[in-house]
Amino acid sequence: MQIRNLTIAALASVLALIAAGPVKLLNVSYDPTRELYSQVNAAFAKQWKAKNGVDVQISQSHGGSGKQARSVLDGLPADVVTLALAYDIDVLAEKGHLLPANWQTRLPNNSTPYTSTIVFLVRKGNPKHIKDWDDLVKPGVAVITPNPKSSGGARWSYLAAWGYALKKNNGDDGKAKDFVTKLYKNVPVLDSGARGSTTTFAQRGIGDVLLSWENEAYLALNELGTNKVEVVTPTMSILAEPPVAVVDKVAAKHGTAAVAKAYLEFLYSDEGQEIAAKNYYRPQSPQIAAKYADRFPKLTLFTIAELFGGWQKAQKRHFDDGGVFDKIYTPGT
Amino acid sequence: MAKSLASLTGLFFLTMAPPLSWCQPPDTGAKSQEERIQALEKRVEELEQLLRVSARKTELKEEENIEKAKTAASVTADTSGFTIRSNDKNFSLKIGADLQVDARTFTGGGNAGLTDQLLLRRVRPTFSGTVYKNVDYFFRPDFGQGNTVIYDAYIQLNYIPHLSLRAGKFKPPVGLERLQSDDDTSFAERGLPTLLVPSRDIGFQFSGDLAGRRANYQIGVFNGVPDNGLSDSSPSSHRDYAGRLLLTPFLPTEKSPLRGLAFGLGASGGNVDGVALPSYKTVGQNTFVTFASGVSAAGHRTRLAPQAYYYLGSFGFLGEYGLTEEGLQKASLRRTVAYRSWQTEFSWILTGELKSFSSPTPKHAFDPLHHGWGAVELALRVGDFAGERGLYDYGFVDPTKSPRRAHEWVGGVNWYLNRLVRLTLDYGSTTFEGGLPAGGNRLPEHVILGRFQLNFI
Repeated sequence: MQIRNLTIAALASVLALIAAGPVKLLNVSYDPTRELYSQVNAAFAKQWKAKNGVDVQISQSHGGSGKQARSVLDGLPADVVTLALAYDIDVLAEKGHLLPANWQTRLPNNSTPYTSTIVFLVRKGNPKHIKDWDDLVKPGVAVITPNPKSSGGARWSYLAAWGYALKKNNGDDGKAKDFVTKLYKNVPVLDSGARGSTTTFAQRGIGDVLLSWENEAYLALNELGTNKVEVVTPTMSILAEPPVAVVDKVAAKHGTAAVAKAYLEFLYSDEGQEIAAKNYYRPQSPQIAAKYADRFPKLTLFTIAELFGGWQKAQKRHFDDGGVFDKIYTPGT
Repeated sequence: MAKSLASLTGLFFLTMAPPLSWCQPPDTGAKSQEERIQALEKRVEELEQLLRVSARKTELKEEENIEKAKTAASVTADTSGFTIRSNDKNFSLKIGADLQVDARTFTGGGNAGLTDQLLLRRVRPTFSGTVYKNVDYFFRPDFGQGNTVIYDAYIQLNYIPHLSLRAGKFKPPVGLERLQSDDDTSFAERGLPTLLVPSRDIGFQFSGDLAGRRANYQIGVFNGVPDNGLSDSSPSSHRDYAGRLLLTPFLPTEKSPLRGLAFGLGASGGNVDGVALPSYKTVGQNTFVTFASGVSAAGHRTRLAPQAYYYLGSFGFLGEYGLTEEGLQKASLRRTVAYRSWQTEFSWILTGELKSFSSPTPKHAFDPLHHGWGAVELALRVGDFAGERGLYDYGFVDPTKSPRRAHEWVGGVNWYLNRLVRLTLDYGSTTFEGGLPAGGNRLPEHVILGRFQLNFI
């Protein structure tokens, strides 16, 4: 009897030790969120440990948003995805059945804890006098932007340009197409992701203007210094809504569903919103947004739903194989 | 005078011209020079941009290639064949081959009726590999000796450690030398006990290592082919059950002199109603036992195959015993009778390579221009095969045509040019008891077997 009790106690101890081991999460994200999530991860792990007494180790994976979605489809075991646009998570739901189709309704603001927009990063002194979208299609202006086929940020940039031209030309779709065609003729090189484009512009010294996530532009400004680059905010741009979601199937398999959900909910907390704002992501919380209002210049923002009928339609028309982008952009030109 | 004045005036203007030009507003020529410099600067800047763009494109292409390489399949060619493998190693296709060109020469007075011949003993392309990480497949037909036969065709699931499931056509787990690959045997032809175990059969088998590789088991259910036989169909609704336990207690002990010791038991059992009867062949591949006409298999068949091997350094020993006890029927007479056989073989690699259950890899592959001579092995085998008296007394076997007993010895030399190519020269002698009318003994068979073999799978 004593041996039996000892055995049970030993087994319980082993189980307790196993149970006490750190919970591991993998956050598969898009290119420019490295800094944001390294801070979020540290803050969340601290909070989770304080509340539950359990360590959480969160790994990050970054790359072009579309490419990251394909990796998850191919088996990259993401507990959560924090991608650049909803379409890339839709793909995981539709093709991979990794989470339900209504995933966007599970968290506030269509599962978008922060927003951003597309701005311009130019060289010090703005030698090409770039102030708005029209300046990007002028001859001799070299525009740096990643490939919209692989980068979520680039898709937002493309649609921002298209939306600007639509609004300027009273909804004339043909003129919008001509405008974007001209713009991409000024693009000398296409990187696969936003971080690569920043490298092309800032480190390799290529191009006059970088179409950039607002947060990425300010990060570059802080890193490179105001003596090298300037941020130009156009008169209007697109409201970029990068969403987040728990990958249900993977999280269930790993036994991390609860912690994954809490991790994403943390992004909506005051602490999470402050971290987002500090990293130049526009917070959803009105209070935090007001607190950091000076960080975010005012501009007219249009939504993808308003001008393009949502991501599904925009993706199909512009970015699917054989879509508008494939027709207007020829590599090497 | 007037001329010298003119010269002086000219000299004045020449010397004063540059300072005057500085004082005057820039003329048209100077302006265009500045514009040209600006234009050149702009051009240089544009060219610099072009160079940077070109360099960046190259950089991106290299990054893309690195990314592609991470997921691209690899193609390799080495001693185990030609392999196409996915980057994650979950999918692969390996193409190999087993080609044996034999020369058989019979010597001595008793072999007048036997034909010397050159033949393609085995011509076996091999296709094997893995799909979805845990599923292996193996397919090997044989086109040797003018026949097309599927020798191996199976799928093996390796999802659970120590419990693999194999389904298809393969070697049932009974005889030791039969389970040794034909390119690993020490002689061109296997010994007499192999006559009493199945060659290939269709079935299902569980297998795995136990106790940290100290034991290996195989257990399965098969159609039930005759001794040394193979078939693509089932002769009846009865099944044969086969299993083998091989113990290698010292295998995990790196420095133990007994590391190369293995011993075990293979066995099979099942009903043989409707199963064809076998015939038994000598080392020279001549039939020396056939069953009489009107005899059929009926009832139960049991095979037992105690077995052992031991390898130490360059020396090797392999021993095996075979017993087939089988129900036979002739007219209304039904009896269970048995054949028994044993063999022991010894081998020694003269060039110092390690002997094992697999072929040795020469320390120096054959390359005469660079003093590489491969590996040379000597081997000797002694074996015996005997039928129970009842076989002859009940008329299941005709004693005037089939000997009651055969005794063989085979000596051979193997020259391994490299891991894949081997030359074999064996001399085999088989003597018989019985097999001729009036109690006479069948004349001995003496054969010289030469083989040129290429094998990579």
